[in-house]
Amino acid sequence: MSTIIKKSYTDEAVQGYNLRTAREEARRCLICHDAPCSKSCPAGTDPGSFIQSLRFNNVKGAAETIRKNNPFGASCANVCPYDKLCQEACSRCGIDKPIEIGKIQRFLMEQEKAFGMKTIEVPEVKKPGKVACIGAGPASLTVASKLVEAGYEVAVFEAEQKAGGVLSYGIVPARLPQDVVDQDIKLIEDLGVKINLGTKVDSVESLKAKGFDVVFVGSGLGGAKKADIPGNDLDGVWTASDYLKEARVSNGKFNQGNKVIIIGGGDVAMDCAATAKLAGAEKVMIYYRRTVEEAPAYIEEIKFVQSLGVTMTTEFAPKEILADGNKVGFVVFEGRDKESEAKVKADTVVFAIGQEPSDMTALAGFQVDPKGFIVADEETGETGVEGVFAAGDIVNGGKTVVEAVAEGKKAAAAIVEYLEKKEGVK
Amino acid sequence: MAVKKDLSIEFAGIKCLNPFFLSSSPVGNNYDMISKCFEEGWGGVYYKTIDLWKENEISPIFGVPGNAGEPWTAFKNCEHASQNLLEENLEHMRRLKRDYPEHIIFASFMGQTEEDWELLTAYADQAGVDGVEINLSCPHMGRENMGSDAGTNPNLVASFTKAAVKGTKLPVIAKMTPNQTNMTPAAIAAMQNGAAGLSTINTVKSLIDLDYDLYTSQPAMNGKAAISGLSGAAVKPIAMRFVHELASCPELAGTPISGVGGIYTWNDALDFLLLGARNLQVTTSIMEYGYRIVKDMASGIMHFMDEKGFNSLDELIGLATKNIVSPSEFDREYMIRPNFDHDKCVGCGRCYVSCFDGGHQAIKWNDATRRPELDTDHCVGCHLCQKVCPVKDCILPGELVWREGFEPRELKLKTYFE
Repeated sequence: MSTIIKKSYTDEAVQGYNLRTAREEARRCLICHDAPCSKSCPAGTDPGSFIQSLRFNNVKGAAETIRKNNPFGASCANVCPYDKLCQEACSRCGIDKPIEIGKIQRFLMEQEKAFGMKTIEVPEVKKPGKVACIGAGPASLTVASKLVEAGYEVAVFEAEQKAGGVLSYGIVPARLPQDVVDQDIKLIEDLGVKINLGTKVDSVESLKAKGFDVVFVGSGLGGAKKADIPGNDLDGVWTASDYLKEARVSNGKFNQGNKVIIIGGGDVAMDCAATAKLAGAEKVMIYYRRTVEEAPAYIEEIKFVQSLGVTMTTEFAPKEILADGNKVGFVVFEGRDKESEAKVKADTVVFAIGQEPSDMTALAGFQVDPKGFIVADEETGETGVEGVFAAGDIVNGGKTVVEAVAEGKKAAAAIVEYLEKKEGVK
Repeated sequence: MAVKKDLSIEFAGIKCLNPFFLSSSPVGNNYDMISKCFEEGWGGVYYKTIDLWKENEISPIFGVPGNAGEPWTAFKNCEHASQNLLEENLEHMRRLKRDYPEHIIFASFMGQTEEDWELLTAYADQAGVDGVEINLSCPHMGRENMGSDAGTNPNLVASFTKAAVKGTKLPVIAKMTPNQTNMTPAAIAAMQNGAAGLSTINTVKSLIDLDYDLYTSQPAMNGKAAISGLSGAAVKPIAMRFVHELASCPELAGTPISGVGGIYTWNDALDFLLLGARNLQVTTSIMEYGYRIVKDMASGIMHFMDEKGFNSLDELIGLATKNIVSPSEFDREYMIRPNFDHDKCVGCGRCYVSCFDGGHQAIKWNDATRRPELDTDHCVGCHLCQKVCPVKDCILPGELVWREGFEPRELKLKTYFE
């Protein structure tokens, strides 16, 4: 008999540290000379420094380090793929197991909140130059945060009713509670970043006309894809992004029936599966066309959904969705071997097979790649359109939060450089 | 079959089942506690000190530096003598001797005048115990001529020991204080005035981590704390020093010594035996983990004896004494360079950091391979690198280098590192 974890939709998946257990873990740290953990953080959050601070009892100083380096320090603490980044680089792996860096970061961000810490200071005198950021996801708000910190005036425009982008709409709260996202966003707003919600931007030109010297595009990915198979338009067939958003907006209270099939093998598929299970579906089944080894999802995410009782069937791809009236009845799968077949009853089908950008060329005269992603310089975010920068999922095709933060930091630095050089900025 | 060795030993003329005793403290304060400790395997007890004053106990009584709940590095107490009525304590001891005739009980006393001492030690005979320990060493008495006040004054040690011995027919063990630069004069005074043996050490005068709201140490009573006795792991090296000084003092040759201070494991216990103690006293580790820890002390020492071919504790007691010498006697003709095992190395660079900042800048760090490289021109063989390396057997003694003008010869060198 296996013990299945039963939690409600909003319960956190992992028990955090308290001061005592966090210090115990920090004591395991070897305090390496070259801190390979820090070198492995794309966003430069610098775990080597913040763990050393905790190890020497400086809890507030440790929290400051995280916040200074990463405007999404709290969110990243919950959703970062540590096992592939800092923890994989940890020297302690050569002895037994890595330091639990993610859990330490989460603890320190909880302390930041408990102490009501305000780490970042904004210069009193503004520098000349106004910046508009399109989208309120991790990349865009990182740019906004860093530019305000550098002394510029920044306004953010977000089409949705809530800031956070994928953090607020695309991740199951068991992994990332909304109040953790709100902690990061509140601190950014407190710096003086004005976030205009429910405000869709039609063109970069319209913003420039309003007096913005620079426009940053960090709008994330719009629509998710469905497999192009018969029956994909039936009632009960969802794209992952719509499904996750529905769950979050309704706080897990929405009609999905008892049998839910998730199609895909990435982290988004795992988030959908966890959402389905935690929101009350009895039977949640993941179908993935390749093997677990080939799946892009992090193994910890796969283990987590399995601990909830979700099954994962590999090397089966959907061929057709059969109707029951005008809604989903069965999904027919075909094996990778082209011989096996399965017909599975379902109330809800969620496609988590990747996301597509919406039409970016409408926004400005960008160059886009064949899949529709904006072509921008990896180091600076420059798009080729004068004064317009872009980064995050809309450029990289959809990566992790920590990478979006990393790109946002680089873009912010490039924007500062641009504004300092540009003539006629007031 | 489990290894079984005879751990019995004679101490101050008393035959003991083993050398593991509770020291005079809260861990041995009534019948129920002591009967339980005997059942768990302790050989005897120094019963909690009895004095002639009724004083309310403080609250709290203890303090621990660092994080509570993690293994204690040290332990600070400001406890008073036994709160039981004298007659209760005598009755507990009588019943214990009746029910555990083979286990040893020392009654511990503390007086302020010669009359007190003579009066107090006579009670031990009434209780039918095996011996007496006189407390000349409690560091937080707050009363003149008591505790470590007495123990640091050889004249008082002499007169109090004499009075205590006069009051009883039983062997008297004098408990010494480490709160002095040289314990030996007091120890000699005690032995010259009839003591049958010495216990060392009592706790060390101390202050620990301050509270940042009260701006005082712990334990704190209504915002005030006092300098008081430190025990536990931190004091063991100090205790070992004093045991060795008594064991190697010619004037004290043959004196039975009871070793006290920071004994948690069989290794700790063995250290005191090897330095010449014939009896061991434990409190702090019991307060932290309970009486049950004696099982691993006994078993661990039995395995050690089995491994090394010892059949009795007498064969090993004092074996280290002759090897503790003055720094003036050191062999200074060679040095040993460290050897780095690059396969075991995990690349943390702690050796590099410590060698640069705290040593002789003799380790070069290879950024690409994340491995240390020894600069033999600068290495002095201090082995600081070995002391900070977190990986077992990664940094070990390597090349032996003879200083100029000295011929290679046979040396006794450490080969095992934990």
